[in-house]
Amino acid sequence: MDVVLQSLAVVLQPSHLLMLICGVVMGLSIGILPGLGGIVGMTILLPVIYGMDPHSAFGLLIGMVAVIPTSDTFPSVMMGIPGSSASQATIMDGYPLAKKGEAARALGAAFTASLIGGLFGALVLTLIIPIARPIVLAFGSPELFMLALLGMSMVGVLSGNKPIKGILAAGIGVMIGALGDAPAVPEYRYTFGIDYLIDGVPLVVVGLGLFAFPEIVDLLIKGRSIAEAATLGKGWLDGVKDALKHKFIVLRCSVIGVIVGFLPGLGGSVVDWIAYGHIIQTTRDRGKFGQGDIRGVIAPESANNAKEGGGLIPTFLFGIPGSGSMAVFLGGLLILGIQPGPGMVTENIDLIYTAIWSLALANVFGAILSIALSKPITRLTVIPFSYLAPFMVLIITFACYQATRSWGDLIALLLMGILGWVMKQYGWPRPAALIGFVLSDNLETYLFISVQRYGFEWLTRTGVIVLAAIIIGSLVMGIFYQARKSSKARASGERNGK
Amino acid sequence: MRKYFLFLGIAFFLVTSMTMVPTVEGADFSGKTIKWIIPFNVGGGSDVWARLYSPFLQKYLPGNPIVVVKNMPGGGSIIGGNYFHVRAKPNGLTVFGSSGSTSFPYLLENPKVKYDFAKYQIVFATPVGGVCYINPELGVKSVKDLKGFKKPLQYASQGATSLDIIPLLAFEMLGLDVKAVFGYKGRGPGRVAFEQGEVNIDYQTTPAYIKNVRPLIKQGKAAPLMSWGALDANGNIVRDPVEPDLPSMPEAYEMLYGKKPSGPGFNAWKAFFVAGFGMQKAMWLPEKTSKDIVATYRDAAAKVIADAEFKEVVKKSLGGYPQLAGKDAVVGFQQVLDVPKKDRGWLINWIETKYKVKIR
Repeated sequence: MDVVLQSLAVVLQPSHLLMLICGVVMGLSIGILPGLGGIVGMTILLPVIYGMDPHSAFGLLIGMVAVIPTSDTFPSVMMGIPGSSASQATIMDGYPLAKKGEAARALGAAFTASLIGGLFGALVLTLIIPIARPIVLAFGSPELFMLALLGMSMVGVLSGNKPIKGILAAGIGVMIGALGDAPAVPEYRYTFGIDYLIDGVPLVVVGLGLFAFPEIVDLLIKGRSIAEAATLGKGWLDGVKDALKHKFIVLRCSVIGVIVGFLPGLGGSVVDWIAYGHIIQTTRDRGKFGQGDIRGVIAPESANNAKEGGGLIPTFLFGIPGSGSMAVFLGGLLILGIQPGPGMVTENIDLIYTAIWSLALANVFGAILSIALSKPITRLTVIPFSYLAPFMVLIITFACYQATRSWGDLIALLLMGILGWVMKQYGWPRPAALIGFVLSDNLETYLFISVQRYGFEWLTRTGVIVLAAIIIGSLVMGIFYQARKSSKARASGERNGK
Repeated sequence: MRKYFLFLGIAFFLVTSMTMVPTVEGADFSGKTIKWIIPFNVGGGSDVWARLYSPFLQKYLPGNPIVVVKNMPGGGSIIGGNYFHVRAKPNGLTVFGSSGSTSFPYLLENPKVKYDFAKYQIVFATPVGGVCYINPELGVKSVKDLKGFKKPLQYASQGATSLDIIPLLAFEMLGLDVKAVFGYKGRGPGRVAFEQGEVNIDYQTTPAYIKNVRPLIKQGKAAPLMSWGALDANGNIVRDPVEPDLPSMPEAYEMLYGKKPSGPGFNAWKAFFVAGFGMQKAMWLPEKTSKDIVATYRDAAAKVIADAEFKEVVKKSLGGYPQLAGKDAVVGFQQVLDVPKKDRGWLINWIETKYKVKIR
């Protein structure tokens, strides 16, 4: 306990606080820019931390990474463009709310959910550090494969009334994910001799291509502003109230966020979808999802902030990163002369608590600053889109080019954009394709390892059976609700059909 | 008379000073920016290595140029290597940082590789070590217990053409029945798989070994077997200074078979060991770089390595091994370049038949 308070004292020192705030401001800016996420932020900051004392460096790095999932909500809600890979699911309901002129409300709810989720992540990190090792060790390759399958089972929920289209779309995603070097054998797939394809298509390019590009095209065709209502409706305070009213959703999704962040190898980019899918599955009145249900904003936003707390656990205790940005953070630890491992709990416990306090404080600062910014920024939604479009095209092109800095990024963006636009026109669920893409590597790798190592015996492991039961249960529940819903009067709109 | 002596003195001083430092003249990098191409992502081992070195190189290169680390990841470092080969001008302003993952495809004659280390000038190199350990529940406490040991073992591998060639070939030479389970993303996940019991034999590079495996050994959950070894000044493989009580891989072979390892398999193993561990990371100047520039760089590297503050960095973040500059690096890497084509061919053939993959 002494260490906890000592670390708080260190964190509250002006020099450290200054670093933390620098990190937060930078994280907010990176989050607002579509396509740029934690990896880019870490990459920019890493050279700076050389020679810094570890506590200040932690303030800077963690302050930055903690608030990206807070501010990345702005483009997701207001333009239907993912601000980073962690808030793709926020688009589903956040953007329709903006169209209705309720952008401020969506943002207020999102920031409150982010704040609570982030604080919850920090709390769980504190409590779980002593018992984290056995939990992480309980998840072998077969269990990780089942978790990836659990993620895939969300496809059914996200594809609304056309499960076949959802499954096919997910299949397209898996196939795009299979391009490039194979995860377990020294082979290149479908690279056609093009060097760009050796490492596959980057996630940023697929995400922006599928979501941002079609949105820009359609808005230009309509030639209007984003908000279809002439006036901005409810304010951010209503959003805060919404989030507090649905406090159990916030807590449940925070737990999901921590778990997904905590398990190495699952990758943080699915956390928002899993939370979103979960909330649809467990809600009775789900007719409004996809058309601006505030719960569809609250769920992913609480999960993606909680994820960062979880992601620090495997990084510190095992030296294996829980996400892309944590991989870069790991390099930062080495630059600071810290070798992560089980010894950190005994030798560097003060640093771990510094990280936790930084995480908590950054979430508070991030939420306050974002709320303060939301009022002027929401006015962007009433500007005619033809003025905004060139700027948006510039930003997403720039963001994609950051992926590998080669021409291939731009060509791939164009191809993905056309694919996304076609899918949107014909009512194919793009989220399903994205989930397939994100999980394809995990599915293949862990299945491959499981079969190599255990033959068919892996199917009999307790963890595998439990996870299989959860998957089947959630699917059955989904089908049951779906059937009940369609037996009632058919809902007028179709989720995700837009 | 006095003037005469003064003149003699000055002349003597000039002559001696010129003979003492014959070539470290000419190259001056004042106001210049040096681009150091690292073919890996920010935050990776090679990136950290370059970022730890660059401020010191900046200090000791004449004219204090700015040294910028330029990350050019892709294709398992082949893309950055090829870029360097095609684009770098021999003016000392573009240098390359290679790693074992860059040398291996070169040695395995991967058709995508255009770079050719035989043509470049090495500046300095950083070694790293590896320690192999086993699950003690198998009844093995040390290498001696491996005599006649026939139980099946599993090893978590990144791929048959990765740095894992070193452990996999070592297991083969020691007569162990090890099944390589492919698909793990690196040594970290491999270690977790060991702790989970998914595999039962593993190795870690020394910094990770110290922090992560020693606690397991203390709890009786791992038993160290051997280190791969370390290179001495004459290019022999000796015990790793980090674990001087453990035999090196060649010693372990001798303990089991009563004779020193030899033959094409061992020749290939040694070349790959030097490329992957003994000189894992190295800085290179491009083809046709002038002698002046090469000497200037090597001189600066020697000064960096002698710097007291840098020694602390080596101890804390680079595994603590003596860094090799100039001649030591040239002699060391020559062993990689000298490996006979037929021994390399033997290894490629071994990988292709044992793991059913196509390399060439």
